Amino acid sequence: MRPDLPLFSSNRFSRNALALGAAAALCAGVLAACSSGSSSTNNNSSSSGNTSNSGSGKPIVVGASLSLTGDFSADGQAFQRGYNLWASDVNKNGGLLGRKVEIKVLNDASSPTQVVTNYQTLFASDHVDLAFGPFSSLLTGPSSAVAARYGYAFVEGAGGAPAVFNTPSNQADHNVFDVSLPIKDEMVPFVNWIQSLPAGQRPKTAAYPMANDPFADPPVQEAQSMLQALGVKTVYSNIFPAEVTAYKAPADQVAAKAPQIVVLGSTDVPTVAAFMQAFEQQHYTPKLFIAAAGPDQGAAFTSAVGKGNAAGMMVPNGWYPGFANAQSQAMVNEYVAKYGGSPSDVNADVAEAYAVGQVMAQAVTATKGTDNSKIISYLHSGVTLSSVQGPVKFDSLGENHAAAAFTFQWQDGGKAFNQVLPTGDTGSKTIIATKPAWTS
Amino acid sequence: MSTQRTAQAAGLAALAAAAIVFPLVFTNPVVTNYGVFTLIFVVAASAWNVFSGFSGYISLGQAVFFGSGAYALGIAARDWHVSGDAVFALLPACAAVGALIAVPFGLVALRVRRHTFIVITIAVFFIFQLMAYNFSFTGGSTGLSSPFLNWHADTYNNPFYYITLACAVGMIGLAWLIRRSRFGLQLRAIRDDEDRARGLGVRAMRVKLAAFALSGAVTALIGGVWFYYLTQVQPSTGFDPLFDLSIVLMAFLGGFGTIAGPVVGALIIEPGQLYLTAHFTNGYYSEILLGALFLLVVLFVPRGIIPTGGEWITALRTRGRPAVTPATAPPPPAAAPPQAAPSPPTTAPPASRSPSTPGGSR
Amino acid sequence: MARQIYEAIVDGILTGGVYALMAVGLTLIFGVLDIINIAQGVLVILGAYLSYELSVRAGIDLFVGLLITVPAMFIIGVVIHWAFLRRLRGRERTSMTLLVTYAVALIVEGILYKVWGPNYVQLKASYVNSSVHVFGFYLPYIYIYGFILAVALIVALYTLLYRTRFGRSVRATMQDETAARLVGIDVNRVAALTFGVGVAVTAVGGMVYGATSGGFNPNSGYDLISRLLAIIILGGLGSIGGALAASIFMLTLESLVDIWSPNWAIVVFYGALVVVLVIRPTGFFGRQAVRAQ
Repeated sequence: MRPDLPLFSSNRFSRNALALGAAAALCAGVLAACSSGSSSTNNNSSSSGNTSNSGSGKPIVVGASLSLTGDFSADGQAFQRGYNLWASDVNKNGGLLGRKVEIKVLNDASSPTQVVTNYQTLFASDHVDLAFGPFSSLLTGPSSAVAARYGYAFVEGAGGAPAVFNTPSNQADHNVFDVSLPIKDEMVPFVNWIQSLPAGQRPKTAAYPMANDPFADPPVQEAQSMLQALGVKTVYSNIFPAEVTAYKAPADQVAAKAPQIVVLGSTDVPTVAAFMQAFEQQHYTPKLFIAAAGPDQGAAFTSAVGKGNAAGMMVPNGWYPGFANAQSQAMVNEYVAKYGGSPSDVNADVAEAYAVGQVMAQAVTATKGTDNSKIISYLHSGVTLSSVQGPVKFDSLGENHAAAAFTFQWQDGGKAFNQVLPTGDTGSKTIIATKPAWTS
Repeated sequence: MSTQRTAQAAGLAALAAAAIVFPLVFTNPVVTNYGVFTLIFVVAASAWNVFSGFSGYISLGQAVFFGSGAYALGIAARDWHVSGDAVFALLPACAAVGALIAVPFGLVALRVRRHTFIVITIAVFFIFQLMAYNFSFTGGSTGLSSPFLNWHADTYNNPFYYITLACAVGMIGLAWLIRRSRFGLQLRAIRDDEDRARGLGVRAMRVKLAAFALSGAVTALIGGVWFYYLTQVQPSTGFDPLFDLSIVLMAFLGGFGTIAGPVVGALIIEPGQLYLTAHFTNGYYSEILLGALFLLVVLFVPRGIIPTGGEWITALRTRGRPAVTPATAPPPPAAAPPQAAPSPPTTAPPASRSPSTPGGSR
Repeated sequence: MARQIYEAIVDGILTGGVYALMAVGLTLIFGVLDIINIAQGVLVILGAYLSYELSVRAGIDLFVGLLITVPAMFIIGVVIHWAFLRRLRGRERTSMTLLVTYAVALIVEGILYKVWGPNYVQLKASYVNSSVHVFGFYLPYIYIYGFILAVALIVALYTLLYRTRFGRSVRATMQDETAARLVGIDVNRVAALTFGVGVAVTAVGGMVYGATSGGFNPNSGYDLISRLLAIIILGGLGSIGGALAASIFMLTLESLVDIWSPNWAIVVFYGALVVVLVIRPTGFFGRQAVRAQ
């Protein structure tokens, strides 16, 4: 007790306590407000989600958290369009089990704290019937744990990193289902094609620069080990930070080694654009240049790198607007009718999201209800489902190893984005086996 | 005076009781989830304030401790095969890790002051984030997953709520004790004029380092809780620059250097942000709004809710009469900084400039 | 190996020039106003977008466009100072300005998102992707021009500071604000103009950054600000030549470590800052950076 110090005057402290109380009250008010409507229905939503399948009048509510703002907002918004497109298609055809489908989306701004909050809100407060996944592997992990706790089947289209499936919660509850191609396998068609070349024509050297990102590395590392087994010499293999300020130096080093193949573990358009720019400045053109992400972004890619330079650039993916699949064609047409643009503008995110809806719809129809535990066991039953991305069949951890894998290439001087691998497929064009020189 | 003291004690007791029964009244996990995240920030902002608010050294590197705590818990649980409730027993180890990191960090950073100190904390922050990316024992860019807790969804959040509540009460109590102690007085002397404090015999480095280590230990502890609650940590989420800015904003909104300030700031900002982000889906406007809110706070309530609110209340009570509070007794010593002296009158709110609570008020 | 090292050094010097263009404004603002302008990163991006708009819509060459973007950014800077920064005084000014400039960064970022959207864009010109071959190295024209511009700009700023009446008032304010006030310098006006100049300079940095990075979007400013802060602290707060020297030093060091591991290069970048400050707390060319608290 130091009464001589004005700092410790009790008067001051009472003021503090008063304001503290006021603020606490205010916050309690906010909390009560945001839980309103849910706390009134003294929750009977035990761990199995909602089991009601009666009452055909009530819509089936599907909850999802998406990154509508923040780092992944472009992808998040594309996902939202995909989910909405699927819902409107289902509703046009009479709904699911005769019930309308409603999509409820909350924004997570790419923050894990927010995504955990959002899914708890959707499950415990909004009592949604079904759950769709968020965008990106980084958020799928924490949110799938919440879904597991509440017993929801967590069907997602954009969480393909190995880490998503190996979480302790998924190993315990097996509730995560990724309808898209596991990203580790993305480069396999490319490697197979190189294997198919006569030994004399096979490229001899390859470089593997990888951004430090759980999404970008696994396919490149897989490709590296497979190509090394084929006798392709690794002249450069390094991980660089996934930060736009850090791309020039590794790009210059790759150019100095002048490998015939460049397998780039990129995260987005700027990664690829920075490497392409540095290569051009160094007057080095790789014979084959495949990037994990970036060239698949349509006009966003060609406008960043220039059409002429885009020619010959390759990217693996599980889907493309020209995919020769009747469901996919129908979806592309509806997308264009609803949102405008041309078929080539349809982002692969849209198809991933749409496929999530389709897989869930088939599970709901087959189990004749929205009982999530039945849906989980149905999806694990080894059944093969169909989607705009091709066949879907889940293994025990929810990876879809039946997914189609394609490799695409910009052709015709950067005017056409064609599927080139696997070579035998319908609509597959001949690969440009030597990348044209830089043009700008 | 004694009635006031009793009222005070009663108020605090009522507040504590309300916090304890909170999850029993609001049983919905949605609400307790808000509670957990808010209390995490109450602890983090108070811990920041005990160092930065009391000593005047603005640290933008508290996420170093938060992330290290999260990673420490994850690595310990993984390597020692700890799972279930036993993981909570590792929390003191998280605090120890935080303190251990704070010592070398502080020995380097606390040699410089003001802006240079701020930037060095940012630099150390990036070094830690990049190390988490680059090492394999941290799981690289994939990060770490926590052990699985097989608890029922309805009550899952409650243990976390009580742990964070206990941490918050402990932290606030600690801040209060420090403030009343010789140690706290030394810290404030450093804040007012470090060179003079040194001249008066304060062993500045030792005092600053002790506060820094304490702050780091508590932040690391709560980082561990956060990780176990969230089940996952990645370099970008454990070492998140927004975390630093959030706690600074919380402390400033409530009242920099006061005990209740950071608590109030966290109680307002964290739930508000969680709620608004979820429902405000137009990012461009939400960003502009958040920035505008920041500006309003700094320009119009520059000293935070607690001091400014206190002044308003005093003004209301005294209404025209000169405010006779014990606080006004001594003449302001080093409180008026040289920059403020020659400033011409501006349009800033007069309340912030009025001499009703000089010197000791901050 | 020797070739790789030479290449890394050349790379470091050239990219160092680009960073110097972005950092001089920050260090100038700090030196005079005693403010860490967190918004500098996003203002660089704003400058890049202005150049982008001029070149895409009106077909104006990137360098010619600077004649428009630099004055525009100057006005933006003066307005920001007038609206938000001029009133901040008092003991907590350091942290207050931090919060205010962060708020400005958020608002500017929101506006950029609103106007240009989240997609990445890149500045284009014939000299952006081409390079000249000297001594066996390919030197990209854009980096050479950027480096020349950086040196020219620093010379211009020195002239402004040491050869003009305005420069004298600025230096007087830097040394002692109260004394400057006493000899009749309008400190507020000096502060506003300096902030304007500091922001105007970022128009140049933004243009070169927009052309040399793989692309930028409204969010790109955050990658930059921490590195720029490290550079100006290392160079000595308020030292313009120091900013150039520190940029070149840091970027060369980073580019050398890159040969071994790009992933650790950035760690070394920040690590070097910590090490230098332990040895020399005022940075390379710092005045007494530790003012009385």
